Parts: sequence; C-alpha cells; structure tokens
Amino acid sequence: MNPSLKLLLLLLIALEISFTTIVSLNIALVLLAALYLLLKGTKFKTLGWLLIVPLLPAIGLWSTQYINGSGDKTLMAWVLFTRIYAFVFTGATFTLTTNILQLADALEQNWHLPSKFAYGVLAAYNLVPKIQHEVQIIRAAGLMRGQQLSFWSPQLYFKAILVSINWSQNLAQAMASHGYVEDAPRTHYRQVRLRLRDWLILGLGLSCLQLGVFVIPWR
Amino acid sequence: MKWAKSWTLSDVILIALIGIFFGAIFMGTNYLYDVLTAALTPFGLAGLANELLLGIWCMPGMLAGYMLRLKGSATLGELLAAVVEMFFGGQWGAATLISGVLQGFGSELGYIITRYKHYDWLGLTASALTTTIVTFGWDLAKNGYLKLQLWLLVLYLVVRFISMFVFGGVLTRLITDLLDRSHVLKSTHTN
Repeated sequence: MNPSLKLLLLLLIALEISFTTIVSLNIALVLLAALYLLLKGTKFKTLGWLLIVPLLPAIGLWSTQYINGSGDKTLMAWVLFTRIYAFVFTGATFTLTTNILQLADALEQNWHLPSKFAYGVLAAYNLVPKIQHEVQIIRAAGLMRGQQLSFWSPQLYFKAILVSINWSQNLAQAMASHGYVEDAPRTHYRQVRLRLRDWLILGLGLSCLQLGVFVIPWR
Repeated sequence: MKWAKSWTLSDVILIALIGIFFGAIFMGTNYLYDVLTAALTPFGLAGLANELLLGIWCMPGMLAGYMLRLKGSATLGELLAAVVEMFFGGQWGAATLISGVLQGFGSELGYIITRYKHYDWLGLTASALTTTIVTFGWDLAKNGYLKLQLWLLVLYLVVRFISMFVFGGVLTRLITDLLDRSHVLKSTHTN
C-alpha cells in the first residue's frame, strides 16, 4: 500500500479510537494488526516485545481511572488499557513494514512536499547513531572538566545545538555540491505510485472502522 | 505553500538534528518516567509522571520556535522530532505524530497570539500556556482525563504548566542565552 495513505489510515484510526469507549473495538484492532504483522513475516518475539513495552503505562492509566475516575470507572479503565495496545499495534503495522525513505518518497512525489523537507529530514535521520554517540562524547568531555551534564543542564543542549548548526551546514553544502538544488524540479529514480487500489483500501478500512464504532453493538 | 519559501535546506536539517539530539538526551529520562510511573500507580496517580516530564518532550518545538523565529518553526520542530521518534524506537506509532503536531502547534500558538514579535518572557510564557492548553485538550480525550475527578484534573493541569514553563520556558531561555553569548546564530543565515 502507498506509505502516505497507509499512514493517513492509521492516523485516522488513532484519532477515532481516542474518542470512542469500546473495549472490543480496541481488542479487534490489536488482533487485526497482529494478524497483519504475522502475515508480513514479523517474528513472535517482536510481537511479544510489543506486548511488554506498553504494559507499565497501560497499568498506570488503568489504575488512574480505577482509583480516581468518575462515572463507570471499570469500563474507562479497560478502555484506556486496551487503547494503548491499539495504538501500539496499529502503529507497528506502519513502522515495522515501512521505512522513512519510502514515506519521504511518497510525500514528495504524491503530495508535493517540497523536496528540501523530504531530503532534509532524511539527511538528519541517517545521523541518528552518530548523534547518540555525540551525546556521549559531550557528556564525557564535561566529566573530564568535572562537569556533570544532565538533562536539565543548559550546557548540554547548547553544545548539542552547536554541533547541529555545524552539521546542518556541512550536510546542506555536501548536498548542494552533489547537484541538489532547492525548489528546482526533480526527476525520480525510485517511483512511488498512488494507485486506485490504495484509495480503495483506505476507504474500505475506514468503512470497517465506522461499522465497528457505530453499527455493531458489541460493546 | 508560501511559508515554505522562507525555509532553507540547512534550516530543515538543523531543526531535525536538534529534535534528534534532544531525543537522544531525553532517552536518559526514560528510567525516571518508569520509576515514577511504577511508584505512583498504586495511588492511581500514574499520570503525574507524564505531567512532570511532558515539558521535556515539548522542548524541541518550543526551542525551535524561540530560536529560529520562522513561521511554523515550533510546529515543524516538534513534528520532525516526532517523525524520527516514530521510526526510531518509538512504539507509540501514529499517536506519536498526532501528539507531535499538537504539541508543536500548541507552542506555535503562543507566538501566533503574540504576533511573532515577543521573543522574550511574554512570548515564552504564552507559548508554555498554549502548549499546556492544547495538549491537555487532547489528553482529555486520548488519556481519558475527562472522566477523572476534578481535583486530579486541576492538579494535572497545574503540574503540566509548571513542567512546560520550567523546561520550555526557563531552560529554553538559558540555552538561547548561551547561544546569544556565543554569537553562533548571527553567523548562520537563519537569524
């Protein structure tokens, strides 16, 4: 499916379930998403990890409603518990099957996102491992001078921004020297198409969701 | 897309890099979140951990809005941080993007109502306030805050504003003061 429409579908699902209080719908979404992931060849271990990671926040939300809620406390507690899992599993159908390059291509080619945004973010994204390393370097450099840099230290962020300014200019220059011109028309080696099939899946997915929300009285 | 014209490639990369850097720094606060959540869960106050730390997560947008002073910089700063978070280790999926847009737009709103003219304490406070209001509105639905008892709702709102003000306001100001003193922003074409 076209990455941009897939993301749109998932965004709309996340929005809609945030305003509903149907436990069975949340569970149905989790099961459907898990099925989709298994069909796409996701390992059971990854699915298990998806079950464990949100457990603490989910229990936190559950207990907040159960102890300090008003109205139907038990229902709301379970709605929020299952909603977290619905977010995580539907989200995983995107992040585990699509990468940021495919999304950037689709947004640029199908939705006319200016290429500087698509490539700018890609350029930064590819530096993630280097950035994590750089944060360690900044912290170590601080320790050598007896400075403990923590998440509330302005110096830590200041140094990170200095590095960002430096790298952003280097990267932009590197891209320009490789022939990239901002706001100029481009041709594409990797073509992403927006097919009728993609729109149909989007329409069908949303229709099924409305059935689950409004028609089927399975709450 | 008129606003897009005022952005250059290096601005986009810069704002995305800052978002990722901040994300890498915040990773160190995850243990704090877990410990606080676990400790507060038996009392039904787990949300307090989120409220205390939310200001940190809204920093990329608030700082970008204050530092770059371009229309849309707060929204874009937070959105780009959310996009990267979604692909890199973020397990919250599409909900991350919705939160990112709302947090960014919330910060932007503070500068919109001060007409992009008050890059001082007034603008920062307005931004902290609008970020609090917009994100809280979303949590009324998403995290079921609407169904909580009133005293808890007020407590959460106050704690969230303090967190936004401390991290998005005071810390942002301290960071940008350091940048001002070092004159780095003048050497770039962004300011």
